[in-house]
Amino acid sequence: MKKIGFSVLLLAAASLVGAQLQAQVIVIAHPGLKAAAVSKRELRDVFTGAASDLGDGSHVSPVLLKQGATHDEFLAAYLGKNDAALRAGWRGLVFSGQATMPKSLESEAAVVEYVARTPGAIGYISKSTVHDNVKVLSVP
Amino acid sequence: MNRLLFGAAVLALGSVAARAQSPDDLNLQIHGFATQGFLYSNANNYLGMNTSSGSTGWTEAAVNVNDQVTDKLRVGVQFHYTRLGAFGGDTLNVDWALGDYKVNRWLGVRAGKVKIRWGLYNDTQDYDPGYLWSLLPESVYGVDYRATNLSQLGVEIYGRVPVAKRLGKLDYSAYYGNYFYASDDGTAELFRSQGLNFPHSPGGKTPGLDLRWTTPLPGLKVGGSLMTYDATGDLPDGTYRQPLAYWPTGYVQYEFKNVFVSGQYVKLVQYQTVTLQGAEPVTSVSENHEWFVMGGYHVTPKLQAGAYYTHYLVGSADNPSDPANYFRDWVASGRYDINANFYAKVEGHFIDGNGVGFYAFNNPSGLKPKTNLLVAKIGFTF
Repeated sequence: MKKIGFSVLLLAAASLVGAQLQAQVIVIAHPGLKAAAVSKRELRDVFTGAASDLGDGSHVSPVLLKQGATHDEFLAAYLGKNDAALRAGWRGLVFSGQATMPKSLESEAAVVEYVARTPGAIGYISKSTVHDNVKVLSVP
Repeated sequence: MNRLLFGAAVLALGSVAARAQSPDDLNLQIHGFATQGFLYSNANNYLGMNTSSGSTGWTEAAVNVNDQVTDKLRVGVQFHYTRLGAFGGDTLNVDWALGDYKVNRWLGVRAGKVKIRWGLYNDTQDYDPGYLWSLLPESVYGVDYRATNLSQLGVEIYGRVPVAKRLGKLDYSAYYGNYFYASDDGTAELFRSQGLNFPHSPGGKTPGLDLRWTTPLPGLKVGGSLMTYDATGDLPDGTYRQPLAYWPTGYVQYEFKNVFVSGQYVKLVQYQTVTLQGAEPVTSVSENHEWFVMGGYHVTPKLQAGAYYTHYLVGSADNPSDPANYFRDWVASGRYDINANFYAKVEGHFIDGNGVGFYAFNNPSGLKPKTNLLVAKIGFTF
């Protein structure tokens, strides 16, 4: 019984850490976007190329980070894919004539700068990155 | 027709370039890939190559140019090169060249030379970097006869059928256009082996549709497609007519974390009538059953491993146990991504039967019933 109790405690601790990590990544969009929130399902659709608009009909275009901890956390928390699988999926769409590759930027500052000046752009950064001039979307 | 498409593509891209006021306005993307394969078999020669001596006769490359002109309008073109032993060769084909106008998530229209969405992999089967496998299941996605049904010259409408959120998502694609049989692949060789030497490739109409349901269970997709096509062609001494052939398929795919599993079943029913001058028309019918199941695993982000089994049977054959009328292939495969651009693959095939992929012209002494095959590939994509 003690072993089961210990395992449950460990699981609870792990899920708390997971939730904490997820909270470090925020989703940002161009300030002109009508929506104030975006669902996990919408994020998954937009960032895997399955949709190019949100539930309210607003057109959005995703912006990716090329690599890094924030990128990995976003993929794990919201898309359930690793970087290789994500890019393979996008390339399949591009090479079959169904889409263009999303913008992929080197730094979080570059993502903020691009999203701020590009109507419809939606990206992700760590909470600690300066993010003036963009809109932060909540993910319920 | 390819020249016409090439001209249209150049005009479309030219108009985009002319519209741009500065380099920032121009959202052109260029992507491509190239692969080189090596195949060695212990018995018969396979896929038009002299594989029993070891062959490097499989080379593929493609390059595409895309422009997202506005939020809703995209134009693009892709050129593809395939050399597969005696097939393909020094010709650059227009793989697709289209304008794509997406009204909203429910409706979009593509026009031009448009990839055909059929089954799990028809529209992406000539993009090698997208797969763990070196060869997709030959029964359904034969690399030596894929060129004919990759694309159609016409219109596709696509989008999502509104359904309640709790039911998942339902995506559709419906198309209508023209196609021509490829003049330099395995199908052309089969025509030649039947004595049908067309001065110009036969062709016809190819209407079809695809429905795929992303179920509420995360990672599970289920779908069905129907491709139909007819054809007419002129022979030096007669005519060739193929009434509408039906190529229905059902498929399922499951992806969860590092695991993926999929399967597809196909039934093809095709009639053809050959009328030679001074002779009665000769009609023949073929009915094929084709299927596969496959599974793979991302061992690490760079390393994948998997296996599949595929089966082909000429259902209309008088003697289904004749190796010429069936094909069964057990396959084990591995892929390693060296970095974001380079990758390597290795694959073993254990083939029973000669129903697809084998040709008389490079197996003049006849075919043995079983073949083991090793395939190794290296590739580059950007």
